[in-house]
Amino acid sequence: MGRTTMSARRVVGAATAAALALGASACGGSGDGAKASGGFTYWSMWRADEPQAKVLKAAIDDFTAATGAKVNITWAGRDIAKKIGPAIAANQAPDLWDESDDKVYGTTAAADQALDLSPVLQLQVPGEDFPVSQVLPAKYFDMLPKDPSGSNHYVIPYEIVTNAMFYNAADPAIAAAMPSPPTDWAGLLKVCDALKAAGKACIASEGEDPWSNALYFDYLLNGAGVNVSQLAADKSGATWDAPAVLTAAQQVEQLVKGGHLIEGYDATKYPTQETNWASGKAAFYMDGNYVTAEVAKQVPAGWKMASMLPPTAKTPDANLIGFASPKRAKNAAAAQKFIAFFLQKKHLAGISTTALNLTPRADIPAPAELADVQKALDAPAVRLGFDGVSGSWLPKVLNENYLDLWHGKTTAAQFVAKCKADQVSYWQTQG
Amino acid sequence: MRRRNPAAGLASRIGTGAVWLVVAADLLLVLWILLTSLRSGPDILHHAFGLPTSPQTDNYTTALDEGGFARAALNSLLTAGLSSVAAVVLAAPCAYALARRRSRTSSALTMTFAMGLGVPGQVLVVPLFVGLSRVSLTDSDLGLGLVYVGLAMPFTVFLLTGFFSGIPGVLEEAAVLDGAGPVRTFVQVVLPVARGGLVTAFLLQFITAWNETLFALVLTNSQGTITLPVALSSFVAAQQFNGLDFGTMFAGVCIILAPMIALFSWMGSRIIQGMTVGIGK
Amino acid sequence: MATTIDDPLRTGAPRGRSAPASRAGVGPLERQRRRMFWPFTAPALTVYAVLFIAPVGYALWTSLYKWDGMGAMDWRGPQNYILLFRDPRFRTSLVNTLELMVIGGTITFVLSFALTLVLREMRARLFARSVLFFPSLVNGMVFGIAAGFLFSPTGPVNQALKLFGVTTPPKWLSTDNLLPMVLGTLVWTATGYYTSIIMAAVDQIPDYLYEAAELDGAGPFQRFRHITLPCAWDVIAVCAVLWTVSSVKIFELILLYGGSTNAYPPVSSWNTAVYVYTEAFPQGTVPRLGTATAAAMASLVMVTLITVVLRRLLRREPVEY
Repeated sequence: MGRTTMSARRVVGAATAAALALGASACGGSGDGAKASGGFTYWSMWRADEPQAKVLKAAIDDFTAATGAKVNITWAGRDIAKKIGPAIAANQAPDLWDESDDKVYGTTAAADQALDLSPVLQLQVPGEDFPVSQVLPAKYFDMLPKDPSGSNHYVIPYEIVTNAMFYNAADPAIAAAMPSPPTDWAGLLKVCDALKAAGKACIASEGEDPWSNALYFDYLLNGAGVNVSQLAADKSGATWDAPAVLTAAQQVEQLVKGGHLIEGYDATKYPTQETNWASGKAAFYMDGNYVTAEVAKQVPAGWKMASMLPPTAKTPDANLIGFASPKRAKNAAAAQKFIAFFLQKKHLAGISTTALNLTPRADIPAPAELADVQKALDAPAVRLGFDGVSGSWLPKVLNENYLDLWHGKTTAAQFVAKCKADQVSYWQTQG
Repeated sequence: MRRRNPAAGLASRIGTGAVWLVVAADLLLVLWILLTSLRSGPDILHHAFGLPTSPQTDNYTTALDEGGFARAALNSLLTAGLSSVAAVVLAAPCAYALARRRSRTSSALTMTFAMGLGVPGQVLVVPLFVGLSRVSLTDSDLGLGLVYVGLAMPFTVFLLTGFFSGIPGVLEEAAVLDGAGPVRTFVQVVLPVARGGLVTAFLLQFITAWNETLFALVLTNSQGTITLPVALSSFVAAQQFNGLDFGTMFAGVCIILAPMIALFSWMGSRIIQGMTVGIGK
Repeated sequence: MATTIDDPLRTGAPRGRSAPASRAGVGPLERQRRRMFWPFTAPALTVYAVLFIAPVGYALWTSLYKWDGMGAMDWRGPQNYILLFRDPRFRTSLVNTLELMVIGGTITFVLSFALTLVLREMRARLFARSVLFFPSLVNGMVFGIAAGFLFSPTGPVNQALKLFGVTTPPKWLSTDNLLPMVLGTLVWTATGYYTSIIMAAVDQIPDYLYEAAELDGAGPFQRFRHITLPCAWDVIAVCAVLWTVSSVKIFELILLYGGSTNAYPPVSSWNTAVYVYTEAFPQGTVPRLGTATAAAMASLVMVTLITVVLRRLLRREPVEY
């Protein structure tokens, strides 16, 4: 959950841009920025007390000092995703905001209300010799869905998140049960059995959270070559009849029926099980890589964070947290200058060093806890969690049914049938 | 008559026991929240129930300062306080007129206000949001306060109409014979007598506004305007990505609870009584 | 209060209490009252009309369109309402709302009467009443947060049950049990509230009625049935209507009970208020203000119907004492 929220897709987004522009490159205020002398408004998904906010704040202060541009910041917190659409409607939207790519897409880009930020890619990164396009790998944009205007540059990332099974490599019980990461599903089950024999639960799971638990299903489908987004888009629901889908559901069922989920997982609230995992009561915990930041203050000394993808998964998922601008932004150019400004190594590195998360720049080292994850992300291609399925398909079709499967209340076959039926009625009510 | 049944039956003894059990549970819950707010976050996660080893008020410092609860408390106090005053000031003359004037219009108006009691907040939330954003009053405590005044109208008018109906008209008659105008009669003669009712109406509205969450969530978002319930909800929401310091969160909970506890210990019986009088007859 | 709706006492007759004035016919007082009527009522009425009545009308209007709040509004007519009732999530929300109202209401009122009976005979009753009343002053989110600790598998509730020999306690926090847990919390907070109101009304019943009944050999239950209930009927009727309305408004309790994250709680625990909120302020999609307001209007109609029926059922001749 923590994750959940953002859910689904996690995070990242970047977008928005930013701002402060003046400073940045040379241009000082292009476009309509002129009247505002390079200033702009910025709504942040962070609360002022969060480390990301501190990193951003430092960069903004620097930007203002360098360019004289005033940035009007609102530390809005995660509710920003619910507020941005209505704010645009009321013509009160900020020039720059940030969220994960899925939220940016769902709330604004899908309705063609997000500004195409491709021009940012051409801006020079201040103080460095190359344009933004060289520091941001293109694969992060390639995976995004296109908005109605055909752009997939509606978010410019400053933080990357990927999901994986996290574990403590320094735990002797885990080392004994898993000499090397399993390569197929049966291998994982064997590890789980060995752990069970050693008296340790295999998987810690926040039973009430559909998102993090369904990631197993998502990765299994990915391994079997099923694209979740296409699965969801089928109005007839017939795609659910593919044998690969049933197999993936059955593999999930094996975890449940095999007793590999930590005891009591279906009777607690987040973060009870995350805490149990961090205190060594279970081996693996599926979550976004920000979990390392979430539990940083709890894990015992000597904990060595490591991670792996569920066996057979082919492509790691990624979400972008980044800057976006509404189409109606009045000082878009100024905001874009700030985006480029923030992507400077010296500022962006704070996301790694202060906020302990991953950045999109390859030349910024990942925090030690996330070395494995960074390695996975270096793969030539990445994909969105749940293949970027959008709209309310997750909450309306998958989530409840998946939890029933996850809690052992339905079998894999029942789960597939139920999802199919719900998907048909879902598409009937979308209109 | 109350204690007239010395041979209280078994049922009544069980009942009494149950009541004390629930009372004890309520008190323990408050105590637990209070004690937990003095413990450190990781400590709480590992043992949810325990005494503070070395009571620390750090949680409060963090909550008030970095958590933004200080600003939110101020916003809550101003929004709830001023909107409640405004609601009473607007509703009192109206309720007085409705209580005193006997006509078809008056009954129709009384009924119109009373019907508002049956309208759940979710009906108003979208229109008020859209409307306020048209006049740039979203993310503003003024806008939120206005909404609270509007939401308060049905209940406050209703409650005060009940109070004014209960005040005998003799005093006013005397005042009128002395040549006092309606405003003077109302302010100098009626209001002092109705003071208890006005205070009750204010308190009830203040409590409602202090705890109101739906409209506050929808209408405010920046850390300069949010009220306490939104601050708490946004604090909890931030646990994704950066973890949640439960110690600070419980301190935040205490900050929301404290005024309610204080108000209630001080004016509790008046609140209960006021509600009953207003509702009863 | 709703009672008041057509309470003759309040709408027409209250002035009955200021009897001297009415007897006087159209005296100076009556004339003055006529003159002051509009100036006194106008400000409140204006605020009420602008911030309350107009929004209700606007909600009705919006419910006939498809609108994301940003683009143009597309006429939908009654289509939103049809979609609404085809949406399983709305049906769940509606059923849950009714469940909270009816089951929660029944339990709350039965308990409130029982408590009134017990408290009446108890020592330190005012103290007990105050403590019982207190939870209704607490923001619902607090209970959601506390429940995660109290009802965890190793939490104090299960520890206490173990003392009584319950070794396999229910999974309190499982998704299935969310609604019952919300209901329980609701009953717990509301019981104190309604007990306090009913008790205050009962306290106004003159002692001699009870003394007389006792002389006639009536036990506590009979005294309750024949004296307390009829004498406090008015207040009880108002409380019933109050409950109906307030049970439909429950929001933050559910939001944080199932959530505790910024994710919305599972649909199985939604009521119509949560449904409206999630449609109007979704997290990852464009708002659907048309369905949101249609759902809101549907709950308004539901409350109105139930209130009207309830008032009819609860109507009794007032008892004078």
